[in-house]
Amino acid sequence: MHIPENYLAPATCGVMGAAMVPVWVHAVKKVGKELPKEKMPLLGVGAAFSFLAMMFNVPLVGGTTGHAVGGTLIALLFGPNAACIAVSIALLIQAVLFGDGGILAFGANCFNMAFILPFAGYYTYRLIVKLASKNQPAKSGIHYVAAAIGSYVGINLAAFFTAVEFGLQPLLFHDASGNALYCPYDLSVAIPSMMIPHLVVAGVVELVFTVVVYAFIRKVAPDMIYENILAQTEQEPKKHIPVFALIAVLIAATPLGLLATGTAWGEWGADEIAAVENAGKVLGYTPSGLANGWELNVLMPDYAVSGMNEIPAYILSAILGVALLVIIFKLISLPMKGRR
Amino acid sequence: MLPNWLIESETYAPPKDGGAFVVKTMKTIGMVLARLKVQRGHEKRHAIPAVIKFFLLVALVLLTSVTQNRLILLAMLALVQAYLAFWPAKDLASILKPALFASLLSVLIFAPAMIMHPQGIYNNLIVIAKVFVSVEMVNIFNHTTQWNHITTALRKLHIPSIFIFTLDITLKYIVLLGTVINDLLTSLHLRSVGKNHRKYQSVGGVMGVTFLRSVEMSQQMYEAMCCRGFTDDYKGL
Amino acid sequence: MSLLELKQIEFSYEKDETAVLSDFSLAIEAGQCVLVLGENGAGKSTLFRILNGLSFAQSGTYHFDGILIDERYLKNNRNAKQFHKRIGYLFQNPDVMLFNATVYDEIAFGPRQMGLSDEEVDRRVLDSLSLMEIESLRQKAPYHLSGGQKKKVALAAVLSLNPDVLILDEPFAGLDKKSEQWLLQLLKDLKAAGKTLVIATHADEKFQEIADTSIIMGEKGTRESI
Repeated sequence: MHIPENYLAPATCGVMGAAMVPVWVHAVKKVGKELPKEKMPLLGVGAAFSFLAMMFNVPLVGGTTGHAVGGTLIALLFGPNAACIAVSIALLIQAVLFGDGGILAFGANCFNMAFILPFAGYYTYRLIVKLASKNQPAKSGIHYVAAAIGSYVGINLAAFFTAVEFGLQPLLFHDASGNALYCPYDLSVAIPSMMIPHLVVAGVVELVFTVVVYAFIRKVAPDMIYENILAQTEQEPKKHIPVFALIAVLIAATPLGLLATGTAWGEWGADEIAAVENAGKVLGYTPSGLANGWELNVLMPDYAVSGMNEIPAYILSAILGVALLVIIFKLISLPMKGRR
Repeated sequence: MLPNWLIESETYAPPKDGGAFVVKTMKTIGMVLARLKVQRGHEKRHAIPAVIKFFLLVALVLLTSVTQNRLILLAMLALVQAYLAFWPAKDLASILKPALFASLLSVLIFAPAMIMHPQGIYNNLIVIAKVFVSVEMVNIFNHTTQWNHITTALRKLHIPSIFIFTLDITLKYIVLLGTVINDLLTSLHLRSVGKNHRKYQSVGGVMGVTFLRSVEMSQQMYEAMCCRGFTDDYKGL
Repeated sequence: MSLLELKQIEFSYEKDETAVLSDFSLAIEAGQCVLVLGENGAGKSTLFRILNGLSFAQSGTYHFDGILIDERYLKNNRNAKQFHKRIGYLFQNPDVMLFNATVYDEIAFGPRQMGLSDEEVDRRVLDSLSLMEIESLRQKAPYHLSGGQKKKVALAAVLSLNPDVLILDEPFAGLDKKSEQWLLQLLKDLKAAGKTLVIATHADEKFQEIADTSIIMGEKGTRESI
């Protein structure tokens, strides 16, 4: 579910990042209150655990494997706020050190996997446990059922948000002739192509992974689970309203923000193009070139790019060509060296 | 007294089992650990400070993403390739392989759109070229920067120390816990002598034990910090 | 041919690094007890990884019971399982060997995979528990046990597979005097039953009674003494 670089417009990335700021602030505040000082290192340890959980190959049918995100599991073990921070840090390390998920898309990835996923998963779990134990004391099995449903809901909701972010791209960011500048699939394609694999495969992987790990810990060391730590210290969080309000506001505001920046972006883009044109032929960018449409082989026909100023394009093409030749030559000579 | 079955030597024909998840996970985590433990890249002695390099990276990635100007994109492509052309051959693969893989993946993802909507092909190719150069840039950064330099550099930027402290712990514990997972999986692998009908319990066990160990370790770490004079003040770290 | 036979092994973890094992040869007969001595970093754990088929030498050969053990042979799922069934490995730290929710499940992990009947599995587990004198721990979680108890559970989990060869990495680490005596007696019995034992240790004097030979690993190459 990691969104790579350049699939989302920078403006979308900015909006998603901005939406995460209040979430992070809220989570840090909450964790500061919930976690005693001696548990502070636990956040980093939780992030490491989250990172490694995403690396784990969960067995599927017939020797195939899949990866889980584990957001709901982390929330069940460490609490949703700590999970939000832990998963965010895990995603940061993935993006910066391992190139998994874009650096600009970091905010969007956090929104889907560090915010929507653990919170939706955790509160679905809480709701089910609460409903089941309303009239009679809950059977122990209900926790596993709730964890299963919670993790399934969590990952699929996160996938849905990812799909919407993708699907809005062609609506918001396109050139004069209506061709998409980033992700080319609109909502009608993005939603089913994200949701079907998640409902059928990824959701099941997440569910299985969450339940088996959660069940083991519940059996072996139940006092290590967040819920039970809360019960022990009797600081049961009664008010979920601020969190829910926050989620509601964000869910309502984010698409609006996207739309707002989208139009602003479009105008800015148009101005920018005009400005470049007005500035003369310094950059030699002519928007008419866009409207004319492009053929497949026009990326660099005749070592120059049509619609560009000939000289810089020539120089750049030359640099690119020579550099590529050197790289290819080096790579070819590599196995020969090894043999010697 | 040894039981009889332990004295007899038995002939044993194992059943087939498609349990590839253990080996696959060991491989993935092994790769992560190798990446974090040893830096195979070449960090020059008078390299640009990690923070400046990071901001440069973000700026370049942002520029790549924002620009609709083909000349700028071409310039990025040319400059990055020109820079790489000066690199030793053995380091090139670790930059180009992920970049080519990411571009190829994008081609596959965009293929239906290109077929259904040929007018958009040019823009789609631009995005694919952007993906290529962005992944190259991130990998160049990774290849030339040691992660502990990144955290030291962040300290100088007055980023809240609790954040850096947490990031530091995360990186250290990825190595520690990754080793725990790999050892557990190794033991599981060696004792998997037939068909494991309880694969999911095994997955739960490995990650469950790892979680319990991680909580234990974090407790010990806090105690060790206290022993060295830490007084609940994360600002001073 | 010997049961375990290493010939002229060269091994290094990274291509350009200095070799951990260089021109290393070793032959262990069935039923022997061999001590592996040497300072930390002398290559004992590397040797054990190779013997267990976890790492492969860059050059040289490893034969187990006449079969060449290399990456290609172990890639076959059945071959690998057959091989691992015959060699039991006790890690120095038993913590990394215990991933089940109960001691019973831990010991039953191997036998359950072997296609034995439920009664047979049950018998193996109960026998192993009484052999280790830990019957009372049956339903406990291995995670909560003491170090010595964990070692016993880990050993039981290995023995329940009835391996031909037992490779033990510092078996006395973390044990008290009484448990040491108990374990030594158990190893004696296993040797008498025809098991091959390979033991890495710093305390070779404690194994004098059962050791046939010892290998000293170190910078100056490998020496064998009797």
